[in-house]
Amino acid sequence: MGAFIFFLSSGLFLGWSLGANDGANIFGTAVGTRMLRFRTAAIIASIFIVLGAVLAGSGATDTLNELGNINTLPGAFMAELAAAITIYLMVRSRILTSTSQAIVGAIIGWNIYSAKPTDLSLVSTIASTWIICPILSGIFAIIIYYLTKMFLKLHCVSLLKQDTYTRIGLIIAGAFGAYALGANNIANVMGVFVGANMLHSLPLPYGFSLSPEQVLFMLGAIAVAIGIFTYSHKTMDIVGRNIMQMSPIAAWIIVISQSLVLFLFASPNLHSFLIAHNLPTIPLVPVSSSQAVIGAVMSIGLIKGRSSINWHLIRKIITGWIATPIISALICYISLFVLANVFNLQVYN
Amino acid sequence: MFKIKISLFPKTKSLENKIDSFHDKVIDSAILFRKAIEVFLTPNSKDEYRSVNKQIKQIEHDADGLRREIENQLYAQNLLPNLQADVLELIESIDKINNQINDVAYKIYVEQPEIPNNLHSLVKNLCKQVAECCENMGIASRAFFKDLSIVRDYTHKVYLMEQESDLTRNEIKKSIFSSNLPLANKIQLDLLITEIDQIADIAEDCADKLLIFAIKRDI
Repeated sequence: MGAFIFFLSSGLFLGWSLGANDGANIFGTAVGTRMLRFRTAAIIASIFIVLGAVLAGSGATDTLNELGNINTLPGAFMAELAAAITIYLMVRSRILTSTSQAIVGAIIGWNIYSAKPTDLSLVSTIASTWIICPILSGIFAIIIYYLTKMFLKLHCVSLLKQDTYTRIGLIIAGAFGAYALGANNIANVMGVFVGANMLHSLPLPYGFSLSPEQVLFMLGAIAVAIGIFTYSHKTMDIVGRNIMQMSPIAAWIIVISQSLVLFLFASPNLHSFLIAHNLPTIPLVPVSSSQAVIGAVMSIGLIKGRSSINWHLIRKIITGWIATPIISALICYISLFVLANVFNLQVYN
Repeated sequence: MFKIKISLFPKTKSLENKIDSFHDKVIDSAILFRKAIEVFLTPNSKDEYRSVNKQIKQIEHDADGLRREIENQLYAQNLLPNLQADVLELIESIDKINNQINDVAYKIYVEQPEIPNNLHSLVKNLCKQVAECCENMGIASRAFFKDLSIVRDYTHKVYLMEQESDLTRNEIKKSIFSSNLPLANKIQLDLLITEIDQIADIAEDCADKLLIFAIKRDI
């Protein structure tokens, strides 16, 4: 079990960094605009991330496991570490990246090293979600923007009441966003460990229990929550004050759009509902919350006529889409080679 | 039977009431100012003018109190965090209208200027335009808090009345300096007319600010 916890550390570290960065996407605007206190935001985000991860984290995880079922602990450890190193390198090179892209790259690296086949149609489905994610978030933002504007026009909500509604809205949207982030992004943090999970199920009062997979997700989500508490305050300040100098209502629109996108790409219930009604399904894939935020911010900027399409930013995102998985796969491949040949560890079965 | 009513807006309701009362004050002050001039230009009405002047002073005093309470509540309860500075600036600018009305009314009470009969209607007209300008400013500012869509309509009226008051002021000044009044009287009246017209100028400045704040308030 000691070895399991050691190998899990890379995933927990990735979880911590996810909390530090993506926590800011959910509550950054609310905290930055002083609509919510950091403590309140961090508590709500932590609770709902854990709930999302435990209750609905399996959807996106299954997709990642279909891509490559890493079946040894050292292999999973290295895949997570490769993803973490890639993110570090990308952030240093100022290329917009996401944990999802890095982890997909790492899994492909493991597939190549272990000579396992990679489902190319699944890769293309996953890659397409990276493109769809910011676009969809932008579309949601536009729709919600006009609906909100229409509602405010029709109902003549006074400024002070609007302030209260916005605060409540930001809390609800943030909680929903945290739930969706937990459900969608826990796959990045703990997904690769599912195949080699050594944890036992956890009995709960009133006859409930958590499966070993859910216990694993809960550990990852706690790491995300620690990341939010310990390091997201600074990022929230940056997001809230520097990047998005917009009204609290616009902030709410951005958070809710991002949350909806994350939820769509994470909800197994919605997925089965669409299948049951013969509707086109949305792949359950971990997507980038930062890119969803960028999509929403840009579309609001566009409809308000305050900005044109920021091609520089789009170039950075596209570079990230291509460079992140490739670099992550390379790092993972080389590291697995080192781990297997220098440390004599079994990186695949 | 007990009825439990849970209000979502306990803090905002009290602040909303104060903001409403504050705007009532500026409108009251403008209406009283118009009345004050009518009274002043009526022969043998010194006592009545004193009473109106007192009422204007009281309104100005009450508005100051409300302004402080609004400012304190906004900051203490962290309401409208993104608009705090704008709201404070707006409230303070509106308060300047009350101050100027009070100053002019008191100036008239203290100086008791002699206004020639041929200028009475023009002066009354100027005060009417200035008062309307302030009333519209009060309504526009209240709309900023309640119904953003009508802010522009009322600020437009403010601009219109301010232009009208400028024209009337020029006409009065021309009449003053072409009259046979002693120079001291001419200068006294000129200063008085300038100060009356300044009330409309302050309202116009408020309208300028308000329009910017309204753009910022839009989502």
